[in-house]
Amino acid sequence: MSSHKTRLAAAILVAGALTVTTACSSGHSNGDGASASKAPAKISSISIGTAEDSKGPAAAEPGAKTGGTVNMIDRDDFSHLDPAQIYLNYNSEVSLLFTRQLTGYKLQADGSQKLVGDLATDTGSTTDGGKTWKFTLKDGVKWQDGSPITSADVKYSIERTYASFIKSGPTYIQGWISGSDYRTAYEGPYGGKQLDAVQTPDDKTVVITFQDIHPDANFTLAMTGYGIVPQAHDTKEEYDKKPFSSGPYQITEHVTDRSLDLERNPNWDPATDPIRNAYPDKWHMSFGVQLQQSTERFMADNGDDKTAFTFHNTVHPNYTDKVKGDDKLKSRTLEGLTPYVDYYYINNDRIKDKKVREALIKAFPHKQTRQLQGGTSYGDYATSYMSPTTLGYESYDPYGILQKPEGDPEAAKKLLTEANAVGTTIVYPYNNTPIQQKVTEAIRDALEKAGFKFVPKPLDAKTYYDTIALVDNGADLYWGGWGADWPTGYTSLQPVWDGRGIADGGQNLAHVNDPAINSAIDAAAKIADPVAQGKAWAAIDKQLQDNAYSIPDVYQRSLSLYGSGLGGVKFDSLMGLQYPLNIYVK
Amino acid sequence: MTTPTGATTDGNTSRPGSTSDLADNATADAPADPGFRGLSPGKLMWRRFLRDRTGVVSACVVLFFVAVAILAPLISMLYGKDPKTHYGQNASDLLTDSGLPTGPNGGISGDFWFGLEPGLGRDVLTLLIYGIRTSLIIAVATSVLTTAIGVALGIAAGYLGGKTDYFIGRVIDVLMSFPSQIFLIATMPVVTGLLVARDQNPPGWLPFVSVTLVLSLLGWMSLARILRGVSLSLREREFIEAAKVTGASPMRIIFKEILPNLWTPILVQSTLALPAFVTAEAGLSYLGVGVTEPTPDWGRMIADGATFLRTDVTFLLFPGIAMVVFVLAFNLLGDSVRDAFDPKTNR
Repeated sequence: MSSHKTRLAAAILVAGALTVTTACSSGHSNGDGASASKAPAKISSISIGTAEDSKGPAAAEPGAKTGGTVNMIDRDDFSHLDPAQIYLNYNSEVSLLFTRQLTGYKLQADGSQKLVGDLATDTGSTTDGGKTWKFTLKDGVKWQDGSPITSADVKYSIERTYASFIKSGPTYIQGWISGSDYRTAYEGPYGGKQLDAVQTPDDKTVVITFQDIHPDANFTLAMTGYGIVPQAHDTKEEYDKKPFSSGPYQITEHVTDRSLDLERNPNWDPATDPIRNAYPDKWHMSFGVQLQQSTERFMADNGDDKTAFTFHNTVHPNYTDKVKGDDKLKSRTLEGLTPYVDYYYINNDRIKDKKVREALIKAFPHKQTRQLQGGTSYGDYATSYMSPTTLGYESYDPYGILQKPEGDPEAAKKLLTEANAVGTTIVYPYNNTPIQQKVTEAIRDALEKAGFKFVPKPLDAKTYYDTIALVDNGADLYWGGWGADWPTGYTSLQPVWDGRGIADGGQNLAHVNDPAINSAIDAAAKIADPVAQGKAWAAIDKQLQDNAYSIPDVYQRSLSLYGSGLGGVKFDSLMGLQYPLNIYVK
Repeated sequence: MTTPTGATTDGNTSRPGSTSDLADNATADAPADPGFRGLSPGKLMWRRFLRDRTGVVSACVVLFFVAVAILAPLISMLYGKDPKTHYGQNASDLLTDSGLPTGPNGGISGDFWFGLEPGLGRDVLTLLIYGIRTSLIIAVATSVLTTAIGVALGIAAGYLGGKTDYFIGRVIDVLMSFPSQIFLIATMPVVTGLLVARDQNPPGWLPFVSVTLVLSLLGWMSLARILRGVSLSLREREFIEAAKVTGASPMRIIFKEILPNLWTPILVQSTLALPAFVTAEAGLSYLGVGVTEPTPDWGRMIADGATFLRTDVTFLLFPGIAMVVFVLAFNLLGDSVRDAFDPKTNR
């Protein structure tokens, strides 16, 4: 037999083998996806707890056992562990295990969240509408070395957020105390100076004075970014690698980009902590596991993966149907709403005609773009700019998105014709990834049907945000996501829609500068009653939609799996991640 | 194989191009002696080729692909589907909520012979034939360009020698030492960016042209090196000397005397290079820097299909098998062409 023939035969064999495998591929069904899409977005309510709610210990998880090691697999290492540097939800979630703040959120059995005192005995008190805040620390709260946590530690932790090496944390409290240019007002504690706005009349009391009224400052102080750091063990930049624990666990080893190991902190007293349970003895977290890998590992459920969970790795979009259709996986699948809302921002500098913006909203193919990104488990169609996880959320659908999520090209074309703007060019920059190329193709199809001229511009994923965040970005329509820093309307709306925030690198990507909106934001921020404040934010949300400033797309959902050997794994709707504090080894 | 000592062979049997020497002799001899070997070298080669069954089968396969590529619009018209309509997204029951085809085997049915693309729900058959068309246009254009550059520079370097040879040789060295894949990834967006204004859609031909240019820039060197070597040895031969003595210009010597002797390596090299360009183009698209949506592309289809390996293998199957068959057939064809031209070459 000549060598030619051998090769030809081999090729035919290969082709044949492939044909055989495909013969048994069956069709795909919707699983429970179709029914889920009809159910309304589940709204998790947020309430403010009393002093009684702030007492430890935390509510026990039914059937929970103490002991064992819990594994965690995820794509990336935690980028920061120093509380003052933490803004990212992923970093915050792990910090629950070893960093405490003045206040914190207690996850209730029904999935709702309650703001309670963490180190403080309650959620703080104010007598002047939110300008001066007073917190009293609990008895028996200790650092990992057994020394007590005092009001001086709290004061030091706030002073520390002014230091020049703190670059990536939140800046609300600093700005409220010292104005937007806060770093020139105070240089941080390392030069020996103190911050007068934070007073400590005794070891247990902290009084913070702001320049203005901030009625939701107790929510702000629940951010991990305002977690406590001990002066005696502050290693400045190095603290980011290995923080000193005030929570139930302490770090034994942290190998960057590889692993993080935690063990019990013997000096943590459950009686002081209304938020945290601590069932496992140890945590072993490893990084570098891609989405597809982790999905496959959880589905296979072998060896150590049985006792594994993941903070951040969701199910790979291509596996959505498989996971939802598999009854064996149902008991260890978590699905829930994250605080993130996807928008398609319209550049209001370039598209000034409201009718054209309305036409864009009408024509936008929400259904098609969502289908490409995982369907119902990618998110629920959005009818507001605020997320349903925000206090005061109200659904409002003036453009009939829920009736026609696939877009209404005829209505859009009519609006365009009325505005005499058929053929308007829409420059659309996008992340040049395989999924986004397809999403862009779906948008192109829909907008061209409605009579727009569509010009897609591929951008590198790393520089995407930097490019569209320029005021002169040369684009008309672009995707962006936003999640609130704490669940009131302030951080959902103010950073994105306050016209005074338009700047290169700013968050006002739609370039909306509407004096009516600006003043409404100022007024709403000063309302002390949370319910009334929530209503005011919802009103602003409606005002934004009535002006057709941008296109809300979906309230992001998360679909994730964990190993069969774990119990008490819950979904944290505040962060949109798996929640570690009730986990136990079965 | 050991060359028999003292044989009548002139010592260059193993060199490609040596049979073409025969060509000169044969055409010179033929009119004088019609009884001597009644076949021209071209006919001889054709006979040898027809005797090689693998070669003939491969040629048919290749011709089939070429025909499909050329006739893509006609096939699409007869079949009643086009590669740009999102059939799955326009109908409500063809795709699941997360975009997988509802029908078995990737949605293969009487309407969609090769199934539906997951996600957008385009027709796989038309996507594939238009994708093949895209890839073949680019590969053929690149082959023609690289052959032209390779022939011109290779013969010039070999025949002219001296400084020209040195200069071209160094350029080849530099280009060959480039990590080509990385270079392609780096230059593709730049080339596109340079040519398109911010507010304009790139014209449809642009990705074709830029991929072709970039691939050609890095694809001509091996042919040029081979041709340089061959023409270096040819220029010392008697018939070139004779041409020089009769006062022929270098241009005439290159094109009329040397080039006809080089057709064998040129043909063999370019038939082997074409499938390499098809895979290179597919590779570029696989990495996301080739031809972009909505132009169908073979390589990008395979890249997309790879992510559905576990959930919808049918979508990977058709472009994958087509690619394997095509590249294999074209390589075997290349081998056969070489065997037919130069039966003495030992492989």
